[in-house]
Amino acid sequence: MTASVDAGRHRAGPAFLTSPGMRLVGKRLLLAVPIVLGVSILTFWVLNLIPGSAAQQLLGPEATPAQVRALELELGLDRPAVLRYLDWLGGAVTGDLGQSLVSRQPVTDLLGERLAVSGELVVLAFVISLGLAVPTALLAAHRPNRLFDRISMVVSITGLSVANYVLALLLVLVFAVQMAVLPAIGFVPLSQGLGENLRSMALPAAAIAFPLYCFYTRFLRGDLVDQLQGEDYVTTARAKGIGPWQVLVRHAFRNSAFGLITVVGLNLGSLIGGTVIVEQIFALPGIGQLMLQAINTRDFVVVQACVVVFAVVAVLANLLADLLYAVLDPRIRYGSR
Amino acid sequence: MRAHDDVLAGAGGVQESHFPALSGPESGFPELPADGETLLEVRDLRVRFSRRGRHVHAVNGLSYRLEAGRMLAIIGESGSGKSVSSRALMGLLPSTATVTGSARFAGTELVGMTEAQMRRRRGADIAMVFQDPTRSLNPTMRIGTQVVEAVRAHADLDRRAARRRAVELLSLVRMPVPEQRFGEYPHQLSGGMRQRVMIAIALAGEPRLLIADEATTALDVTTQAQIMELLVELQHRLGMAVILISHDLGLAASYAQDVLVMYAGRGVEHAAAETLFAHVRMPYTRALLGAIPLLEREPHTLLPVVPGQPPDLSALPAGCPFAPRCASADEQCAVDPPLTEHEPGHRWACWHPVPDAPAPDAASGDRS
Repeated sequence: MTASVDAGRHRAGPAFLTSPGMRLVGKRLLLAVPIVLGVSILTFWVLNLIPGSAAQQLLGPEATPAQVRALELELGLDRPAVLRYLDWLGGAVTGDLGQSLVSRQPVTDLLGERLAVSGELVVLAFVISLGLAVPTALLAAHRPNRLFDRISMVVSITGLSVANYVLALLLVLVFAVQMAVLPAIGFVPLSQGLGENLRSMALPAAAIAFPLYCFYTRFLRGDLVDQLQGEDYVTTARAKGIGPWQVLVRHAFRNSAFGLITVVGLNLGSLIGGTVIVEQIFALPGIGQLMLQAINTRDFVVVQACVVVFAVVAVLANLLADLLYAVLDPRIRYGSR
Repeated sequence: MRAHDDVLAGAGGVQESHFPALSGPESGFPELPADGETLLEVRDLRVRFSRRGRHVHAVNGLSYRLEAGRMLAIIGESGSGKSVSSRALMGLLPSTATVTGSARFAGTELVGMTEAQMRRRRGADIAMVFQDPTRSLNPTMRIGTQVVEAVRAHADLDRRAARRRAVELLSLVRMPVPEQRFGEYPHQLSGGMRQRVMIAIALAGEPRLLIADEATTALDVTTQAQIMELLVELQHRLGMAVILISHDLGLAASYAQDVLVMYAGRGVEHAAAETLFAHVRMPYTRALLGAIPLLEREPHTLLPVVPGQPPDLSALPAGCPFAPRCASADEQCAVDPPLTEHEPGHRWACWHPVPDAPAPDAASGDRS
């Protein structure tokens, strides 16, 4: 992470294409291995502690112990947990996450479509929240403590204090029930047209986006005002005689963006798992819904796969944020000497 | 390694520059003003910072006159108001500051200007170079872009012309290989180089007054001398007036034509540099001179200091603000001495001026 000193040789281009950047990616991906491994072991262990087996759930409360025992044998649930974990791990390394205990479908097939739905939901939520938060924060920081800033502060604090399932229900009440402009539940896949697909995604995406919007607005506005009031380069920029918007956007925002990227990176990783409740409310066939169903049916194989996917996404999102940092901030040249 | 570049640049002597201002009368810079023309007249300037009902009086009735093309050093301790009073001229104070009094720049009143009016003058009439070049440049922008931005703030130039002009400015401040430096970031330059970039930015709007706010304080002594010589050279070549804000009396004595000593937000002594240093009148100036560390002094003795603490600017006592720290203070000092011209060209604010030719250590030497 030393700043490169070989001045004048390189124009700071996309640093991630240079070899130290690639080495960083390699190193970080290697580091991700023990993290994901640890998560999978922990999940496996915890799932084994939960009372009730998949066989019991499948057969229902009327089943005799003998029937349950037979199915357990068939599913391999009688073998020691360590062996079952190693089996699972061996498969996972080769891309085979096993079969659902309930539907007997390969887990990778189940995950594929579910991940696409959750992914779309998260991406939409981020586009909406950031797309609105940046202009709001700029307007608020342009005149701190004036009317617009105060209104946006009230909105943000409200948004941050309302849980997103409450917000989701409110959105359904207003847009689906009273105004009847958007569907309350259900999912229309992209193959049936972008417009319909977006209509079905609008309310769930808004429910996730709004608290994020509030948070990003507060965060960015605060950082912008700090830059404007505390940083000497802002005074230099003002002393040049350039306009206030130019100072705000070209100078303060450029530097505030770095903090925002970090926060977004952290959120992105945790959010894919945070869609569980919203997917449930809007009956979206996403990965969160899949996991919830799997927990109810004690379908440990599927739960295990979901948790590992969440861990991988979190690691990748953080790596992405770090790399974005290196591309945007000329002071950071990872790994060069 | 970087300092080496500075030395090379500084050792080059007066090299031919492509800067248009330096060749011919149709230069971009304003004509040289006639000698003695008043460029800036500050009268009873006051700056007050208010926060939650508490007022801090940072500048308390500062008055001075600056002639075009001259270098004025404003000297004082931290908190004496030297920096605040200069930022007030450019409207660069935070919104908690209230500025009153008068500051006329080339006949135009600066105090009370709207932000939009002030913005048009910033960089074009008055420009500023700050103390810490590391923090004063945007770390995420190429230096060329930062200079171009200053060029285009006041001149309607297209991209290429602005770029050409920015490269000229960089060579004017003796930046070696300016075309190459253009695309670099501040962290790739040495402190001295960064300060040259800051000066190039300040010169972009062809200002008639350049305020150097502790511009060399963060630099090592060698680089400091090079930057000072650059400033003096630019002052003469471009006919700019310079206000040199510093706590360094040596710097003022070596480079400035006029010296204004500030204490507690007001001027306490003001004269041409040679007059002031030959005939120090104000006990505070005398104490400051006595506090300069000397190589000849015995090792392991305490450094001489100005005794006492600077006054609390939120509760200034009546009378001379220096009286509590002054050896010659008496009951007369309960009445504030005005800054008046007692000898031709020499103003001071004291009832008990120091007589001529005392030993430099007399005021505070006995403390060591």
